[in-house]
Amino acid sequence: MRNYIIRRLLQLIPVLFGISVAIFAVLRFIPGGFASGMLGIDATPELIAQVNARYGLDQPVVTQYLNWIGGVLHGDFGISFRSGAEILPEILTRFQVTAELAILAAVISWCIALPLGILAAVKRNRMADRVVRVVALLGVSVPGFALSILVILVLSLFFGYYPPLDYVGLLEDPAKNLEIMFLPALILGCSMSGSVMRMTRSSVLEVLRQDFIKTVRAKGASERVAIFKHALRNALIPIVTLVGLQIGSLLGGAVVVEQIFSLPGLGLMTLTGINNRDYPVVQGCVLFIAFVYVLVNLVVDLLYAYIDPRISYD
Amino acid sequence: MKNMKKWLSLSLAGAMLMGVLAGCGGGTSSTPAPVETGAAEATGEPAAVEQVLKYGTDTWPAGFDPHTISAIAATRVFNQVYETLIDFNPDMTFKGVLAESWENPDDVTYVFHLRQGVKFHNGREMTADDVVYSFQRVLGQTDYGDIGALGSTDSYYGGIASIEANDDYTVTITLGEPNAAFMANLTSSYGAIVCREVVEANDGSLSAIDTMCGTGPFMYKESVVDNYISLVKNPDYWEEGAPKLNGITYYLLADESARLAALRTGDINLCSLSALNLSDVEGDENIKVLSYQSNNYTYLGFNLSSEKLQDVRVRQAMSMAVDRQAIIDYVYNGEAAVSTFVAPAMGHWVWDAPAESPLYTYDVEAAKALMEEAGYSDSNRMTLTMAAGLMDSIRDTAVILQQQLKEIYIDVEITNLESGEYVDVWGIMDTPEAGYDSMCGQNGSGTDPNRAVSFFFSTTGGANVWGYSNPEVDELCAQAVATTDEAERESAYIEAQKIVIDESPNLFFASPMEYFFVSSSVEGFEPFAANANNFRSTYIAQ
Repeated sequence: MRNYIIRRLLQLIPVLFGISVAIFAVLRFIPGGFASGMLGIDATPELIAQVNARYGLDQPVVTQYLNWIGGVLHGDFGISFRSGAEILPEILTRFQVTAELAILAAVISWCIALPLGILAAVKRNRMADRVVRVVALLGVSVPGFALSILVILVLSLFFGYYPPLDYVGLLEDPAKNLEIMFLPALILGCSMSGSVMRMTRSSVLEVLRQDFIKTVRAKGASERVAIFKHALRNALIPIVTLVGLQIGSLLGGAVVVEQIFSLPGLGLMTLTGINNRDYPVVQGCVLFIAFVYVLVNLVVDLLYAYIDPRISYD
Repeated sequence: MKNMKKWLSLSLAGAMLMGVLAGCGGGTSSTPAPVETGAAEATGEPAAVEQVLKYGTDTWPAGFDPHTISAIAATRVFNQVYETLIDFNPDMTFKGVLAESWENPDDVTYVFHLRQGVKFHNGREMTADDVVYSFQRVLGQTDYGDIGALGSTDSYYGGIASIEANDDYTVTITLGEPNAAFMANLTSSYGAIVCREVVEANDGSLSAIDTMCGTGPFMYKESVVDNYISLVKNPDYWEEGAPKLNGITYYLLADESARLAALRTGDINLCSLSALNLSDVEGDENIKVLSYQSNNYTYLGFNLSSEKLQDVRVRQAMSMAVDRQAIIDYVYNGEAAVSTFVAPAMGHWVWDAPAESPLYTYDVEAAKALMEEAGYSDSNRMTLTMAAGLMDSIRDTAVILQQQLKEIYIDVEITNLESGEYVDVWGIMDTPEAGYDSMCGQNGSGTDPNRAVSFFFSTTGGANVWGYSNPEVDELCAQAVATTDEAERESAYIEAQKIVIDESPNLFFASPMEYFFVSSSVEGFEPFAANANNFRSTYIAQ
């Protein structure tokens, strides 16, 4: 097990290296440089040269890359061109918002998806199943931004309610923080729950067809035991895989929802960085997001062994 | 294995808990508040209504250095904190801000007498040394060298030959040659007076939000990046009785619907929104709309390195084939004015082309005739590639142009460019490398015709990216900037406008209205094009 984890962590190195090269190159290739974006219509060749020199953008690209990656290896992600703030502390601060949002959204989605998915599987092709399937389809197909705006409009027009605008951390003011987080987490959770619901349904159905469930039922176990103790556990692997992928991408920032609800998360930071061509910010964010994504997938793989003892990494 | 499972489940539960707890750290990057918010208590006034203006802003400022950033998202914040020597009145005359009075002993010398007892937010008195230091910083003459300051170009302060402090409260600025636009340039936030020791303490950079230290009516208190910025009243502000508000808080609300919703519930008091939202608030007595004519205009610029566009008849034909009113009706719901490159908001500087130029008369037949004269017909049509910006209004304008130009044997191929690429292509629009025959976008006339005319259409103008050159226009621009006689300047600029419009290196369409949607309780706020963010007299009624 330990060897497996170490091996997986070592695999991170080439992955992150590849990503660092790719994001660095992509940022230099996309049209529109930092200087012309910052100076806009007043850009003259002299001003652009001044700004480039100030931020080291006049050096050869390889030198720029080596300078940057050298810093990153020492834990120094550099400073934002625009705000002058150090990037790593900013990423970590932003990640707390995003992580809280992702975890709340995931919990909400499980609370919705697991019971309904199991219900649909057990009541296959009956009314309950059909209703769940329609709801799941809606969850998958309604885009998060449309749902967000709809919820905001309905609440403000009919109930005169808008969630608090000034963000506070969970420890500072738990009640207010949860009030701020509730709507975006609910919306993300609903969007996520659609696919989890469908996956739960089909996965449980598949397991219910297997012989060992017949055996369980034949030996007189109650339906509840058959489903929750035997079927669900065996159906969990694909569900956990899906949820892992979803959380992984949420931890990279739910860009649209963060923007609509003005949550100062990692997604919004990356987006603003891209719009401003703030190279070190985008590079730092993407690298960090990749790191978290790989890590979450590692945790999911380890969970397999826990859920299904037949899987072993030794 | 069993132990392993237990260990794993425990550590996973722990990780989840840590994750949730980590979420609590909160991202307040607040610095200790220099003053308490309760300024009302200090003045002994009853504070029945919380006198804090809640402003819904669409974009997080890209930086907070007034010398390097000009985007509206940033100026609407730092214009409360920093001040300039002078500013515009609504009638476009000048008023003293940090300068109490000034005189012009000759064409190139400006002597400013500074207000006494003005304090920076760190408590130190502002003196002539700070004014000198601020302009030196813009011009790259401090220890920190060139900072890419926008005001360092020739169209701003590049022509300053010397700037010196005569005493603590007098500054003399000498120009290399006369520049009639110099006073107007001083109203720009590029001319903000900054605090020397703050610049030095931050190694030359004022980009970070907590470095904001000016003399303005509001001072920085705290912020959460990408969420809110809180400014509080400057208790030592020099102007008697101002500001009336105890503070301004800017909330980032990128989405228009979200801003309107928050305005309806009273979570914000003020925001800017597009004309499309006007009908939504009709009859809502809690919301009023304040509008003003902006000094922006939409245009179609031609790449004059392209041979087919060098024929002035083709450009003139296009001008006549465009129904500008249709653009205004469709794109702006009728809420815009027909414009040239000197937007209607610039008052007496404007030549009334819509009334006087034949090229502003929508006349497809005349346009067709001109095109035929230039050799085009149904069997010999012209293809015009067009780069368009991503703003909704520009995208829509481009599509209407495409429709209307079809009538006169021109097939337009539109490419929408993302903003970074747009700026890059814009910079080389006088070369074939740009890859486009034309570009549709929005520009600003600024506050002085020197910017509107010379900057955009004189041969050496910084924004003349089209390869347009007319010695007569150059001569008129040079005349106009070398004299301070208003009438003489006006006639030179009007003459130049006639030439540029007749030669049509760009076509000009509409100058949109700008809107503030405001809670009815907000009083004392009167935005105008040259200053849409003055909250010194604003208060919230009981």
